[in-house]
Amino acid sequence: MAGTRTPRSGLMAGRSDVVGTVAGPGEDPNEFVFVTPSDRSIKTGEFITYTVSADGGERSVFARVTNRELIRGLPEGFLADPEVGPETVAATLGVPTDDTELYRLTATVIGYYDTDMTTFANPRQLPDPGTPLSIAPDQQLETVLPNLGCETDSTDVAGLDGIAHVGWLLNRPAEATNIHIPIEEFASTHLAILASTGSGKSYTASVLIEEMMRPSARASLLVFDPHGEYDTLADMQGEAAFQDEDGYEPDIVYYDPERLRVRISELEIGDVMAILDNPSNRMQERLSTAWRAMQRQESRTWGVDELIAEMERIYGDDDASVGALEWRLRRSIERNDLFHPEENVPLDEIVDAGQCTVLQMDTLDRWDQQLITTVLLRRMYRERLDDVRDRESAIDHPIFALFEEGHRFAPASGDAPSLGIMRTITSEGRKFGFGLGIISQRPSKIDQDVLSQCGTQISMQIQNPNDQDAIKNSVEAAGEDVLRELPGLTPGQAVVSGDAMNTPALIQVRQRRTPHGAGSRPVIEEWHDAYDERQRKPTRSEGADFGEGDSTGVQDLD
Amino acid sequence: MTDHSTAGDQLDLDSCVQIGSVVSSNSHLDYVVEVYKERDCERPPELHEREFGQPVFIKKTIDGTDHAVMGVIYDTQLIDPDQGRTGPRLAQEDQAQFTPGYIEERTTLAGVALLGTAVITDDRTITNPTHQMPRWTLEVDDTVFHCPDEITRSFHTIDDQIQLAYMDRLVDIAGDLGAEVIVTLIDRLQGILPEDDPNQRVLDVVEQNVQWQARERRGVV
Repeated sequence: MAGTRTPRSGLMAGRSDVVGTVAGPGEDPNEFVFVTPSDRSIKTGEFITYTVSADGGERSVFARVTNRELIRGLPEGFLADPEVGPETVAATLGVPTDDTELYRLTATVIGYYDTDMTTFANPRQLPDPGTPLSIAPDQQLETVLPNLGCETDSTDVAGLDGIAHVGWLLNRPAEATNIHIPIEEFASTHLAILASTGSGKSYTASVLIEEMMRPSARASLLVFDPHGEYDTLADMQGEAAFQDEDGYEPDIVYYDPERLRVRISELEIGDVMAILDNPSNRMQERLSTAWRAMQRQESRTWGVDELIAEMERIYGDDDASVGALEWRLRRSIERNDLFHPEENVPLDEIVDAGQCTVLQMDTLDRWDQQLITTVLLRRMYRERLDDVRDRESAIDHPIFALFEEGHRFAPASGDAPSLGIMRTITSEGRKFGFGLGIISQRPSKIDQDVLSQCGTQISMQIQNPNDQDAIKNSVEAAGEDVLRELPGLTPGQAVVSGDAMNTPALIQVRQRRTPHGAGSRPVIEEWHDAYDERQRKPTRSEGADFGEGDSTGVQDLD
Repeated sequence: MTDHSTAGDQLDLDSCVQIGSVVSSNSHLDYVVEVYKERDCERPPELHEREFGQPVFIKKTIDGTDHAVMGVIYDTQLIDPDQGRTGPRLAQEDQAQFTPGYIEERTTLAGVALLGTAVITDDRTITNPTHQMPRWTLEVDDTVFHCPDEITRSFHTIDDQIQLAYMDRLVDIAGDLGAEVIVTLIDRLQGILPEDDPNQRVLDVVEQNVQWQARERRGVV
């Protein structure tokens, strides 16, 4: 025993960054307890490291601090008077106050970085009591925490391509340990950004969009924006950080609601049934027969008129159900500007490499938002399928679609037409290069199949227990210790977990390069402005001066 | 000064009231002092000058430097060798001048616990107080002096901060009376310090702590 310890302690003796000593095993098989004289440098969530002999070499094993308790400190009796500090009382009694506090910390072993597997391997062996522990070095963490596939544990990751700088470790000083997540990983296995309102969901999403639009990534991005929160992304154009020597510059396209059209022939019979008011069984039968007949036709530009003509051809002019259907179809489809027999959103306008298209849907009602999403997703998915199968396709590159208010498009209640295609893409889209990003403040209101398929999760402050449960139940990578952190996070702080990470990490989301467009409204200021505005304007109740003399009163009576 | 000042209070260490002389010790820090009576010295201590919790000092010259070894009276005991005997009593009045040790006599013993040391300056007051355990031992017959309030205050003030760093040792020596002697000392210090002194609050907290711990130990709470 002494033989094995001596070289290790000799090695550690020269290290000034030793912060604690292992005391013994903890409650769980992967947990150990260590003691540290002060809390200066160790916070919960911090990564620490120790050395073990494994596979014939020295390995740095990483562990995460999960809990801290005080085992020795000044007695509570010293706190009897709030205006007299416990140190003063201690000094009076001659009790030394330097390093009085002794903490017992619990840490969970993550493992050592296996350079062959490019992920963590658990040594399945807890450190011996007395093993010195150090704070894990910044660069090592930058390399091994995200799933970057580095072949050593000290690669300079900032130079790698296709990575997104999302922020830095929360426990370290700003920009000390930068976390870069591989874009490919979350763009193919889907992404979920979950947080309560005001915690920085769309801010974080914008940071990711910025990273994906940089010259090293040049993503093909589509943002479904029901609230118009992404109108500042255009500032990326013209910024040096987004330009490349070969002339690349991201193309930010805003697609306003007036240009969002659904060609009627793109609708599926299920969508139409959902739009119509309670069609009877007979009507449904009539409609689906006619719809299938229309879809078999060469022409893709037919409208309600043609559909009714087809029904009348099949069932006769005087069929009562056809008459009732006509009335319903005209009311629901023909009078809705969203539907058009010919016009359609041209896919080549909204998707292209190096292009970020923001579909602004803020003036559409919820139902129309869901419908346009359904049809667009379905079309794009079909094109991706064709491309992968080597058929002619309008989209010959992978795409990533980001959904603000994701629970609106894939609700747990299941009453959105878009749910089906979202489920399909999240479960099968990876093979066809179609990634989804779901942003939501109500994880409990998102369809659990969709949420559980999101391989990478960025979770921010969430206090609602239902939403925490939803994350616990559907997000596999989020461990207990991560979930415990959620209520205590402040805006801009996030837990990144899942496929893009080798182990979950607490981060501070980095500053955006473009200004943020979705902050809270300056309510008081706006009230003041509105009040001043009203004071300046004459109101109708203000009587005009009909008297004589040089009146300055308002003459306008209309 | 304050109400606690007595007629015997003077800043000159040499003219302090003599309380008694060391007759034995229980440990390095715990001495037994025989209290002077009328015939032992010119001005024997009055009752209030040798009360429970009274700070005292003993002068010692070490390597040519005068030191004051500080202590406190934490216990008193009355000795009456005649208690329970019957028979004539002859010794006392006749033999006023002759009191060798083998003649048993009524006497009062005081327990003195040592608290720390200080250096005696040329103008006969103290400086450099320390609450560390005194390294030097006292001798039999060393005179124990009443400690005036001003000296008590200087001994307890280090860098303007009140200090009672000997407390754990004192509790140990004084045993069951430990909490009481500390509370008495604190009361005395509170009387000496001005009322708006920030150290008053510190003393409050310490006093509460000591009292609470003593009650806990005695099983009251």
